[in-house]
Amino acid sequence: MAEREPAYTVASDSETTGEEKSSPLPEIAIGIDIGTSQCSVAVWNGSEVELLKNKRNQKLMKSFVTFKDEAPSGGVTSQFSHEHEMLFGDTIFNMKRLIGRVDTDPVVHASKNLPFLVQTLDIGVRPFIAALVNNVWRSTTPEEVLAMFLVELRLMTETHLKRPIRNVVLTVPVSFSRFQLTRLERACAMAGLHVLRLMPEPTAVALLYGQQQQKASQETMGSGSEKIALIFNMGAGYCDVAVTATAGGVSQIKALAGSTIGGEDLLQNMMRHLLPDSENIFKRHGVEEIKSMALLRVATQDAIHQLSTQSSVQVDVDLGNSLKICKVVDRAEFEEVNKEVFEKCESLIIQCLHDAKVEVGDINDNLVTNLCKITEVYKGINPLEGAVCGAAMEGAVASGISDPFGNLDLLTIQATPLAIGIRADGNKFVPVIPRNTTMPARKDLLFTTIHDNQTEALILVYEGEGKKAEENHLLGYFKIMGIPAAPKGVPEISVCMDIDAANVLRVLTGVVMPGSRITVVPVMEVRMPMVDDGHGWCAEALNRTHGATMDLVTLKKA
Amino acid sequence: MNASSLTSNLSISNSKQFHHLSKQLRPSHVHFATISCRATKLVEETKNGSNFYKMLSVNPKSATMEDIKRAYRSMALQYHPDVCHDPSMKEESTKIFVRLNAAYETLSNPMLREQYDSELGLRNNMMNNNNIVNEEIWRSRWQEQVVELKKRSNRRMEQRGRSWGSTSRMRTQSMKDRN
Repeated sequence: MAEREPAYTVASDSETTGEEKSSPLPEIAIGIDIGTSQCSVAVWNGSEVELLKNKRNQKLMKSFVTFKDEAPSGGVTSQFSHEHEMLFGDTIFNMKRLIGRVDTDPVVHASKNLPFLVQTLDIGVRPFIAALVNNVWRSTTPEEVLAMFLVELRLMTETHLKRPIRNVVLTVPVSFSRFQLTRLERACAMAGLHVLRLMPEPTAVALLYGQQQQKASQETMGSGSEKIALIFNMGAGYCDVAVTATAGGVSQIKALAGSTIGGEDLLQNMMRHLLPDSENIFKRHGVEEIKSMALLRVATQDAIHQLSTQSSVQVDVDLGNSLKICKVVDRAEFEEVNKEVFEKCESLIIQCLHDAKVEVGDINDNLVTNLCKITEVYKGINPLEGAVCGAAMEGAVASGISDPFGNLDLLTIQATPLAIGIRADGNKFVPVIPRNTTMPARKDLLFTTIHDNQTEALILVYEGEGKKAEENHLLGYFKIMGIPAAPKGVPEISVCMDIDAANVLRVLTGVVMPGSRITVVPVMEVRMPMVDDGHGWCAEALNRTHGATMDLVTLKKA
Repeated sequence: MNASSLTSNLSISNSKQFHHLSKQLRPSHVHFATISCRATKLVEETKNGSNFYKMLSVNPKSATMEDIKRAYRSMALQYHPDVCHDPSMKEESTKIFVRLNAAYETLSNPMLREQYDSELGLRNNMMNNNNIVNEEIWRSRWQEQVVELKKRSNRRMEQRGRSWGSTSRMRTQSMKDRN
């Protein structure tokens, strides 16, 4: 049993059981929403969800860490405003956009105009990220920066609750790959936190919505009929959509859709609009350039904020180095430069509704968090706090807390946000578990050999939505050996994928020859993801070394 | 570990074999049938005539979409692994829930349900010829389950309507009455 869990989980499990023995009350996991730009913490206080505040009375704290001579300080405790800190290259932010990405990723490339160092060599390894401290570029990683920030959050929560914090429920973007999720778990482990659950952001909102619906139906003595809700959430880094069917405290996630688009893209498009040649101008990435980039960023941010209430805005900023911007921007321009972002949002909503087999007319409520422009919106949930409150509620439910008033008789039936499958039929991605499959899930598919007397088969496990294998995230690979010599198409290779309630993915394979029912080789059970950095490389190297000698095709039966 | 995982794998394929059969001559589950001796329990279950309707405790003839959804939700609240806080039972509840899902996915889709019904009808006819007694046993067992489930849900609905205080008062009262 233990070998299936990552090392740090095992350690924490034993620790928690130790703690439970000494205290009769189970520890209530806290909910954390680490946003790309801001972050919040909430906890079930025994009767309701409570948002925690930092010493400066803020519920929403900016997600950044500033590297100082000795101790780095993050947005939870830092005295300065984010904008001021940004000017000197010693502040790292947008960790959530960078975590678990390689340097060929367009999102990493777009991050090169952030006012700190993001260096890419474009070969598919993790990017080099550094903060400028005393004129020294000090390297760090998104995991490390997140961990520093999480430590601050943890200390703040511990001070507030007067108990040690161990278990957390974290909200995550829908589009995060399993590899990115492991990096996030790693960051938590570095901060001494054990991830009880990772919840796609809109599903946390769905849980809160489910609870409110249940409460309402109790109060009105209603029958608690099923309600369909569309949840749209666009933050600084990611855009997520979910369609959920809710009744009797049970929220069933019908479909999920997400993409790496958000306020950051609006901001960058606008920056490019204001200073079209910015990439060249800031190429040197020296101290001066960083200051200019930060000034441009702050000015653009202000302009966008103003455009949400007024139709046009005057941007006047001196970027230093005799570089001045003096421009009037109106809302039409803003919408024009960001047309693609808005179109992408729209297509995500359409895709999600389509996947859920729901018509617009079937929707009872539109839940919108953060920025948006849908007309009719459900008012019961504060858009900025929905996800963290849902996470806190899940934390209480998952910690086994029961509420005498039935406020915690809740359940979210999750669905897989991305398809998981293997490479077969040439270079195709063949999903074994399609996206939006209810979790826990278990599915299998049959494959067969492509060569006569092929004794080995390479299983390449991918996650994603791309049709070609390489368009997806490689999760891992292994070889089935000892397939009995037979003409091509005869051996039956069964690939079974299993996602348990804790979202742990295992791939099981067996080989059966026709006429027999016994697998001729031992069943292989492989836990995914197993690939660390450089996933692109692995697939390429495997292809270079082995070509199609170990390939598979789906087995089509008459 | 392998055996148990594959057993559960078998169980899903088993419960889904009806609509798979039309696409695939041999459902993939048969390969694993001999791997584990634990599979016998599930084979028995199929022999005893377990089906999607019984799994959800709904009437095959009269259950509406709303009935099926309600049954699924109430079963999910009992069997979803998230609701199960006993670590030793997690795997078992995962298996049950995966089967429950297969049942729900088929029965909540009108097309799949129709297909399933016709396949089930064929199978039941065969079974009727072989063993009518068996058929009757499960029918009565299933009816018992429905009655119990209705009772439970009625009780739940009643409790929901009242405040927590009045519910506990009621409980005390009923305990006194029993004494």
